[in-house]
Amino acid sequence: MNTETQTFKGVGTPATRLYGLMAIVALGWVFLGGLFFTPEDAVQGDAVRIMYVHVPTAWIAYLAFIVTGVASACWMIGKKHSMGFDRVAGASAEVGVLFMAMTLLSGSLWGRITWGTYWVWDPRLTTTAFLFVTYIGYLAVRGLGGTAQQRARRSSVIALLAVLEIPLVHFSVVLWRSLHQRATVLSPDGDIKMDGIMLFTLLFGVFGFSVLFAWLVSHRQRIMAMQDAQQTTAIDVAVAERLKEAQA
Amino acid sequence: MDLTPRTSSDNAPLAPRKRNRKWKYVAMLAVVVTAGGFIVSQFLTSAIDFYCNVDEIGQRAGCGPNRRLRVQGTVEQDSLKSGMGSTTFVLMFNNQTIDVRYNGDPGGIFQECIPVVAHGQLVGDTFEANRIEVKHSNSYSEANPDRLAQSKAEQCSLLAG
Repeated sequence: MNTETQTFKGVGTPATRLYGLMAIVALGWVFLGGLFFTPEDAVQGDAVRIMYVHVPTAWIAYLAFIVTGVASACWMIGKKHSMGFDRVAGASAEVGVLFMAMTLLSGSLWGRITWGTYWVWDPRLTTTAFLFVTYIGYLAVRGLGGTAQQRARRSSVIALLAVLEIPLVHFSVVLWRSLHQRATVLSPDGDIKMDGIMLFTLLFGVFGFSVLFAWLVSHRQRIMAMQDAQQTTAIDVAVAERLKEAQA
Repeated sequence: MDLTPRTSSDNAPLAPRKRNRKWKYVAMLAVVVTAGGFIVSQFLTSAIDFYCNVDEIGQRAGCGPNRRLRVQGTVEQDSLKSGMGSTTFVLMFNNQTIDVRYNGDPGGIFQECIPVVAHGQLVGDTFEANRIEVKHSNSYSEANPDRLAQSKAEQCSLLAG
């Protein structure tokens, strides 16, 4: 028992501390740059500042769900079915849901100011909401109980299906007529229609939120490892107790 | 070996708590499925209104009178008039225009030379809108009054489709 306690003293490592520090610095710049150093947009005015949170959180939510899909595939394909992959998948989905919630909330506020409405059942908004709900479902399925292997098996199947929604969300503005504007940075013609300082702050936001994502996922998956170890320890203790009873 | 949970006073509370936790996730899953169904049904309901560009009015099947439509176009320069609680303007797309009347103030960043989606019905030659949504383009540039004044007409015609 002492060994277990010593092994899991905390979930921080030098690497996570570095990520944390980088996230603070980068997001500090996004906060200052987004609010004070970047100009108003010619059409949208100050409302454009929401973009520095909305776009990076949307991209990182996509990234998080892709990481969940890839980690789930690695768990499935791997001969050892390493639970580390399953924990990364779960942790990444949790962080992805958090970022997607931020995307929906910031997008809704942005929509109220520019479109004149908080919400419309537009293809981009609808598919994003559906993606969000899908991953909440994924997290619910993970919590349904059973052994760690059972949890990994059923959630990996869902993760591999759910990740297919991402291209649909991304290309929804091209596939259907949409109120939501088309991509600016990832536009197919490669022409980025954004002033330099705005683009710099936006990309710095992507970097900052990426590092924050890495920091959150590494901590969360280590906490999950501790929970799994605790469960295993509890079973070991129960077995030892019963053996002792049988011997008595 | 029997490894069922203990029923002694020390361990008894653990088993029901675990069961409760499981039901919490089952309830969460039920909410998720309901929410998913709601999202899809709302999307399909909204898709019932045809989405037409101004130049498709009367040309494309479904983009005619006697039904609700969503019409997309750009607010023509110098066409915007407000008063008596209503807003009128001319919407254009691909050099085709249509008169639009909306009871109220559209809100958002509604202005001339901006793309909008008007929800409503064609009555005679006028589109009677009861909802206006403002689209914004995917280009972002610093507000510059001189540059704006010079390029407004050009921008308006570019946005017109």
